[in-house]
Amino acid sequence: MKTLTFFFALFISVATVASDKYTEQMTKHIHAVYTANTTEEYQAAINALDRIALAEKTKWEPYYYSAFGNLMLATRENDKGKKDAFLDLALASIEKGKIILATESELIALEGFVHMIRVTVDPAARGQQYSGLAFQSFGKALSLNSNNPRAQALMAQMQFGTAQFFGSSTTEACGLALKALELFNTQNPGNPLAPVWGKEMTVELLKKCK
Amino acid sequence: MKALFTILVFATVFPTFSQTRITGKVTDAAGEPIPGANVLIKDSYDGTSSGMDGTFSFMSEEKGLQTLLITFVGFKHFEQMVELSGKDITIAASLKEEINQLDGVVISAGSFTAGEEKRRTILKPVDIAMTAGATADIAGALNTLPGTQKVGESGRLFVRGGDGSEARTFIDGMVVLDAYGPAAPNTPSRGRFLPFMFKGTSFSTGGYSAEYGQALSSALVLTSKDKAEMNQTDIGILSVGADVAHTQVWDRASVSGKVQYTNIQPYFGLINQRVDWIKAPESFESSAAYRQQVGKSGMFKFFGNLNQSSFSLFNHDILNPATKQKFDLTNRYRYGNASYQQPVGNWTLRGGASYSYNQNDIRIDEKPMGETETGVHTKLVGEHSVSDQLEIRVGSELIHRQYEAVGYNEVLGNSEALRFTELVSATFAEGEYYFSNKVVAKAGGRFEYVNLNQSATVSPRLSLAYKPGKQGQFSFAYGSFTQSAQNQYLRMNTQLNPETAQHYILNYQVITNSKTFRIEAYQKAYRNLVKFDAANTQLISNSGTGFARGIELFWRDSETIKNVDYWLSYSFLDTKRSYLDFPFAATPTFASAHNFSAVYKHFLSKIKSQVGLTYSFSSGRPYYNPNRSASEFHEDRTPAYHDLSANIAYLPKNNLIVYFSCTNVLGRDNVFGYQYSSTTNSQGQFESRAVRQAANRFLFLGIFITLSKNKSVNQLPNL
Repeated sequence: MKTLTFFFALFISVATVASDKYTEQMTKHIHAVYTANTTEEYQAAINALDRIALAEKTKWEPYYYSAFGNLMLATRENDKGKKDAFLDLALASIEKGKIILATESELIALEGFVHMIRVTVDPAARGQQYSGLAFQSFGKALSLNSNNPRAQALMAQMQFGTAQFFGSSTTEACGLALKALELFNTQNPGNPLAPVWGKEMTVELLKKCK
Repeated sequence: MKALFTILVFATVFPTFSQTRITGKVTDAAGEPIPGANVLIKDSYDGTSSGMDGTFSFMSEEKGLQTLLITFVGFKHFEQMVELSGKDITIAASLKEEINQLDGVVISAGSFTAGEEKRRTILKPVDIAMTAGATADIAGALNTLPGTQKVGESGRLFVRGGDGSEARTFIDGMVVLDAYGPAAPNTPSRGRFLPFMFKGTSFSTGGYSAEYGQALSSALVLTSKDKAEMNQTDIGILSVGADVAHTQVWDRASVSGKVQYTNIQPYFGLINQRVDWIKAPESFESSAAYRQQVGKSGMFKFFGNLNQSSFSLFNHDILNPATKQKFDLTNRYRYGNASYQQPVGNWTLRGGASYSYNQNDIRIDEKPMGETETGVHTKLVGEHSVSDQLEIRVGSELIHRQYEAVGYNEVLGNSEALRFTELVSATFAEGEYYFSNKVVAKAGGRFEYVNLNQSATVSPRLSLAYKPGKQGQFSFAYGSFTQSAQNQYLRMNTQLNPETAQHYILNYQVITNSKTFRIEAYQKAYRNLVKFDAANTQLISNSGTGFARGIELFWRDSETIKNVDYWLSYSFLDTKRSYLDFPFAATPTFASAHNFSAVYKHFLSKIKSQVGLTYSFSSGRPYYNPNRSASEFHEDRTPAYHDLSANIAYLPKNNLIVYFSCTNVLGRDNVFGYQYSSTTNSQGQFESRAVRQAANRFLFLGIFITLSKNKSVNQLPNL
């Protein structure tokens, strides 16, 4: 009997490992995206995430991190045409993720981030359209989850930039950044696949606030 | 038991004995390695990325018949069935290039497009609104591009030796009759539609698609914006009036409305004018736009515009300036445009209808006269991608026009009317084939039948483009174009055939992200132009001919100088026509041999302003001098035209813009031509009077306020 129980317990744990191959693989590749240094490393991680996205039909996370990887590549790229191409790939992944879970605040916030980077390609020609879209996305992300620290931090970033350009007060933007930092410090996502990036960016922004 | 347990554990936890190794190499069609391609077994996590040399190697736990998939941006997916049985598999994958890439070849001969931010286009929508000297007029901005001739007293687009009526405007594919507002004699008219309404502008100076007919020289194709994204109210306080606009947005629809009042009287009170105004131009305008998304990707668009403008002035006799004639004009204009686009199976169908109504009520010394034109245009187009290389487009349209002119008969002392109703029926078909990302060809034709004179024409169109390297490309275009004779001639003889023009265009352009270079040469042959006898204007026929040829250069650079964007255009034009009352082939009065424009935009973030300067030059234009002998027809040339215009847009707050512009800053007294007295003076000479600017400078000040929830929004793109 004892042996049988042990046997069952082992079987269950083996089965759990098998079904949680998703979490295990995702954890590995998310780590790879966060720590990538070269274009090749990014590309390898993005490809791996894309493979998982293709195999898993009901998960938005692989699309999210694939998009995040392409967004990071876009920020590192200097050629405007290539920058746009990476952003297009990021947006395409976000769109696919939204088909799976349209109300995911993290996906919408990342979409806003893509628009934000889009502005930097040609601020004079794109500022109006894409900064409007970015504000809209961050607003929507916050309405879906007001405790999303990334949506708050990005919104703070946009508000700060706008306020700085027009020489108006940055109090509101800095307040928002402070709130975002609190959330970064207190939030402890139970889900190992939940996004955790953005704290450093917020800390940097708060330095400018002082 | 123990043995069984061990086997079970090994079987579950270490199933490696059944893994298959898959190795191979990913290359393009030319055999060059593709690094970074995603190689995978479908519906599994197994896979890898190809290395710098294109090779890959990975293990798969899957078994049996599986699909190996290789993907890489810019290439078609590669799929191959593989049997995974533990034996090594080697794959040689040659990926096919995807056609119609963003950096692939495009047909560019004859056209300037401003749209789609991500495409490398020559102009951006904001350029059209923010060009100094244009005062937010579409034609004004396009007049800084090669292929146009500056005709300062008209304000219209004159393209490659064609007159102002040869350039046609289309909104969402539908024709616009009378696209320019009324203007006093010798003062420039403005386009009726403001640039901010459009997300895309394609200005073609020749060789355009078979979809566009009834345009001899140029097609200005405007694409209106899609659904608005946020609620906002815009208020404009202008030195010449005021406007208010509001946009209301729903989930799948948006409505915007605008009312505008302009009155130039107070401005004319401040700045001396060469025109003897009784009542300066005044206009009321209202417009509305409605957008509705239908289903997954259907879009319904409606746009309507109502305008009434009027002015009154005295024309003075040349010989005896004290003798004056009163001229009153009231213009009533209505335009409506509805269009719908919907994918149906493998086709995209788009259709629409437009309605134009234009009435000019003219009184000369209180004697009534005028003209009315009503037009209805309906069109249905189907587009189909046969493959990623071949796209076809077929369509049909009807353009119905009713025209009536009322003249005053001095002898009988009553009004007389001349009228006609014209129905143009047309069918067109076009195919665009990408041989590769380097070569594309577009061929098509247009059949047109005009009921008025039972004329049937077939107009072939052909374009080719070749992109040998990464940036530069060559294009060629040929086309035959027809257009009904102008109303003032057609009303005299409705049997006049359409005028025709053949275009041949050769183009080379290099576009990088921030620089554009373009050179274009063309040859145009005109036939069936309206011609009449100067002595007897009733003898009117289609016997006129003409030609135009030229070379044009364009350079734009937004990179070399920080925060500065500039472009330079030069056009050389050689044209002669034997038409209208010309005694022989001569250069028309609107044509100048050399045109040059330099546009400069500088963003000064310290003072939150964008400053713009535009310099335009045109060499002298021919004019008719009746004091010369008949053989010296159009031999004389006006002095050259110079204009330096400036504008500044200042953003003190994020929802407030102060905009100031001034044309002809240096105050040059430009002469566009000369008018002569109809009879000789006591010395037997015809006396002349120069056609000059109504005022040397035009100053404009506007304050634009936007009220919306989103604090970053302002009207900058509207200016």
